[in-house]
Amino acid sequence: MLKKMTIILMLVGIMLVGIFVNAEIAFAEKSDVVGTLKIWDMEVDNAFSASWGFAREEFKAMYPNVTVQYELKTFEQMQEMGKMILSSDEVPDVMQCNKGNATAGMYASEGLLTDLTAEAEARGWADIMGSSFQTTCRYNNQGIMGSGNLYGVTNYGEFVMVYYNKDMFEQYGVEVPTSMAEFEAVCDKFVVAGIAPISLGGLTGWPIDHAWYELVLYKADRDLINNYQLLQGDVDFQGTAYTFGAEKFAEYATKGYFDPKAMGVSYDDANGAFVQGKTPMNITGSWWYGSALTGITDYDWGIFLLPGKNLYEGSGGDLWVVPEKAKNKDLAYEFIDLTMQKEAQTVMANAGGIPINADLTQITDPHVLDLNRVFSSIVQKDGLAFYPDWPVPGYNEVLIPSLQELFAGTVTPEEFNNAISIPYNEYKESLK
Amino acid sequence: MTHKDYSHNTKIATLKASSSLNKGYMVFLIPGVLLFLLIIVFPLLANIGLSFTKWSGVGTPVWVGFTNYMKAIRDSYFLTSFKNALLLVITVTTIPTLIGLLLAGFIFEYILDKFGRGIAIFFRVGFYLPQIVPIVVVGIVWRWMLQPNWGVLNWSLKAVGLDTLTRSWLGDTSTALPSIMMMMIWFQIGYPLVIFIAALQRIDPVVYDAADLDGASRLQRYFYITIPLIRPEIFVVVLTTIIYTLKTFAQVYVTTKGGPGRATIVPSYFSYQNFFIRSRVGYGATITTVLTIIIGLVAIGFIRMQIKQEQEG
Repeated sequence: MLKKMTIILMLVGIMLVGIFVNAEIAFAEKSDVVGTLKIWDMEVDNAFSASWGFAREEFKAMYPNVTVQYELKTFEQMQEMGKMILSSDEVPDVMQCNKGNATAGMYASEGLLTDLTAEAEARGWADIMGSSFQTTCRYNNQGIMGSGNLYGVTNYGEFVMVYYNKDMFEQYGVEVPTSMAEFEAVCDKFVVAGIAPISLGGLTGWPIDHAWYELVLYKADRDLINNYQLLQGDVDFQGTAYTFGAEKFAEYATKGYFDPKAMGVSYDDANGAFVQGKTPMNITGSWWYGSALTGITDYDWGIFLLPGKNLYEGSGGDLWVVPEKAKNKDLAYEFIDLTMQKEAQTVMANAGGIPINADLTQITDPHVLDLNRVFSSIVQKDGLAFYPDWPVPGYNEVLIPSLQELFAGTVTPEEFNNAISIPYNEYKESLK
Repeated sequence: MTHKDYSHNTKIATLKASSSLNKGYMVFLIPGVLLFLLIIVFPLLANIGLSFTKWSGVGTPVWVGFTNYMKAIRDSYFLTSFKNALLLVITVTTIPTLIGLLLAGFIFEYILDKFGRGIAIFFRVGFYLPQIVPIVVVGIVWRWMLQPNWGVLNWSLKAVGLDTLTRSWLGDTSTALPSIMMMMIWFQIGYPLVIFIAALQRIDPVVYDAADLDGASRLQRYFYITIPLIRPEIFVVVLTTIIYTLKTFAQVYVTTKGGPGRATIVPSYFSYQNFFIRSRVGYGATITTVLTIIIGLVAIGFIRMQIKQEQEG
């Protein structure tokens, strides 16, 4: 009996000491915290780098004795090396991560990411994001998005749109199209004038995905999107949507709507051609908006959504994730929290981003207001359709070469859809 | 007992004596052997082992036997990658070696005689220069040069009125692989050149004097004396270039990533794609294993041929 009492007393003692020590940490001044915070992101010279750079400075001011080790990575580097890095011991404490099954989902299902569900509830991130943005933050134990624990936190939205050169439109007497037929008429007008209407960075690869999938979405509905992304139900690659998308893409390539040399042009060069006024339109995402704001100085420009449809590539933005092996998770949460707050979010808006928690009354730039207005219109009609490479890990390695072949006309739309269906179905089978 | 037997026994005795004497040296082999095991043998065995599994890179690999190999044989990407590698081997081995032979002869026989050592060194260094540039830099610079809209190649063609010849060099399925070949040839020329010039310096001038006395022309001297005498160097250059070309990775990674379509896919890059990007580690390991076997066979074949040649010579 005495022995039992002693053990109980000891346990109570240990608990009390634990509570006391915890309270010490909680009550300690932030300026007393000593340590290191390793942050990795993939953004440079855009709205996100501006916002997160601002948050980093806030963090440094708040934690003067914490060393912030910031490293800039490239998107391609993280896509290819992400898994190796996350399973090594050299992980950062907080990291920007592409969303979707193929990346965040795969990492989460393999236990490489920290479950942020409790933290997101406690700190109010879940409320800030709302349910629609959480779709790409939650992954089940198979790594499929939409349900399960919250493994990432996003603080912006993104979508794919058409950037257009207003001066060139005026010069060639064309207006912003409101239907697919009108859009094609605009393209025809430029082709006749010897100008490639749409910039496309085919050498980089993934920009082709975006151009093609925007066309698939003309005939897609929410069920197809969900089935495709969540690897459930029936996805008919020879059905209406995929057939239409592949045929239209091949047709646009043949008609010269994209620069015929586009497969030898990198993403940066394609954007450069638009900035220099060599092409009147550029189909890319809102992540490029900040570059357009600062880069285009010689003419007036605007944006529109590819007309005549209701679904567009887009989603909540990339995620902040905390690697399972991170050494300073509490500091990582503190940093993420700063990026979610109004101050950093307003910086993002002013730099041309689509923040989810900004004070939009403080925005004056008409371009930025326009961007946020268009995004809101998509969200309101439930029009975010995600991206085509998400369902299967490494799917871009199938989509890109196949699209390059479709562009070159060496495969038919039917062959193309067949080629991309095989790895998709193989992966779907492997999950059973 | 014949003289031959005696000499044989003496040899064995000497070997035995020397082996016991030399045992102390074994210690010095340990670091090398350890590194060899760690860097070559262990990863090689691990790779072969992985090729019989299905593994995403995390978790436990699942043994699948020869499934990956069976899949590879039917995979058109796999076959295309080796077809492209073969084309690269043919062009990138023969063309620089031939150019290297001619240039080495030209510099050694003509430039050195007419213009002296300084100019000869200038040319040798000049041709070798690409070899010291990191391959990633080479790739990026060539990508600029081949850029379809403002690259220097198309720009030059337009400047001389050859607009019809302009291409999207890296973006066109018919020109992408030849473009990478051009880049690799340009990069490679300096290597055989330097080896061959060194080989030429090794040849005894007496042989040439004798040829001159017999009235041989420069060309005859070159084809009947020089080339046969530097055959060992030619073997080394061809073998190392074949291996280098079979392992082509960075050149494709920096420029086309295997595209457009599958026009420039090569085994190393295809393996990398599967290994790292598509999380199909077992399949990636299969491709590398096949590549290793092929490189091994080529190396063994060449070394055997070389030994045979030496014995005949």
